[in-house]
Amino acid sequence: MDNEAQLKLQAYLDGELPEAEAREVANWLARDRDAAALHNELKNTRQALVGHETGIQLPESREFFWSKLEREIQRAEPREAVANAVPWAARIRRFLMPVAGLAVLVVASMLTFNNSSTHVSEMETSDSGAFTYHDDAAGATLVWLSHPLESDPADEDDLDIE
Amino acid sequence: MTSRPFAAAALVWLSVALALSEASVRAGGADFNLQAQLLWAGNGVNPPEGKNFKPVEPAVAKKLKDLPLKWTTYLEVSRTNFVVALSSARTVDVSAKCQLEVSAKSDSNLEVVLHSKSKEVFKRNQPLPEGEILVLGGNNASNDSAWLVILRRIPRAK
Repeated sequence: MDNEAQLKLQAYLDGELPEAEAREVANWLARDRDAAALHNELKNTRQALVGHETGIQLPESREFFWSKLEREIQRAEPREAVANAVPWAARIRRFLMPVAGLAVLVVASMLTFNNSSTHVSEMETSDSGAFTYHDDAAGATLVWLSHPLESDPADEDDLDIE
Repeated sequence: MTSRPFAAAALVWLSVALALSEASVRAGGADFNLQAQLLWAGNGVNPPEGKNFKPVEPAVAKKLKDLPLKWTTYLEVSRTNFVVALSSARTVDVSAKCQLEVSAKSDSNLEVVLHSKSKEVFKRNQPLPEGEILVLGGNNASNDSAWLVILRRIPRAK
């Protein structure tokens, strides 16, 4: 059986032949066993395909499916913009962290320097009995000398107030 | 691209802020406007006859009251206002025979020396912020009264 005859059988099976030609093929099938066997095989194959080919059914309408895709795309765009902003913020942070650290060091060193100069208290006196009292709340430092001075500052005879 | 101008601006602002703060600290601490007061202290006694000693001002009296002193009456004998520039010294008379020498060792620390008859009897180095007082004192020979020298910062004269 040549290729031409096989194609004709297929066309007959698909119902594509004119009536007269289809009748001729039907007669030919009744006479030729090989042709009938091929026809049966093609027919079985077709039935098997039709029976097991399940059509894909979308759960939603075509319009709804595409509009859903469109919404997903639109939602992804701002997310992409946010993702692009993060590296910029990270760059600023990378710069600010050492600057802030430097500023803290400078301020700390200034405070340390100032504090070191403000909390120095030293006393020298020939009076071994002298004592010092400091009252933070009153904001006062008292230094009391234990014995009268050679010349009391407040001794009226020493004062030049008259 | 945007981080470079930002970095430069931040550095400029930081430098300006530090320079201004440093300048303000230096400007504020350049001079010490000081006042030395000589006080006579006693218990319920009147001022020596013929001397027009006035009671010490309430702010100073309050601070003295907080100190461990036994006196109840404080009278002002003399008062001297003076200015000490940074890294310089100034000597003022608190009485005819006693002087106070004050040196500004830094923008916050003062060295205070008390002289009696030209002899150094006391020297102290300490900070003296505004609002605080340094009180030097001792009993008088009679032991029923005392003398006090008060040193404090006063507002700048305008």
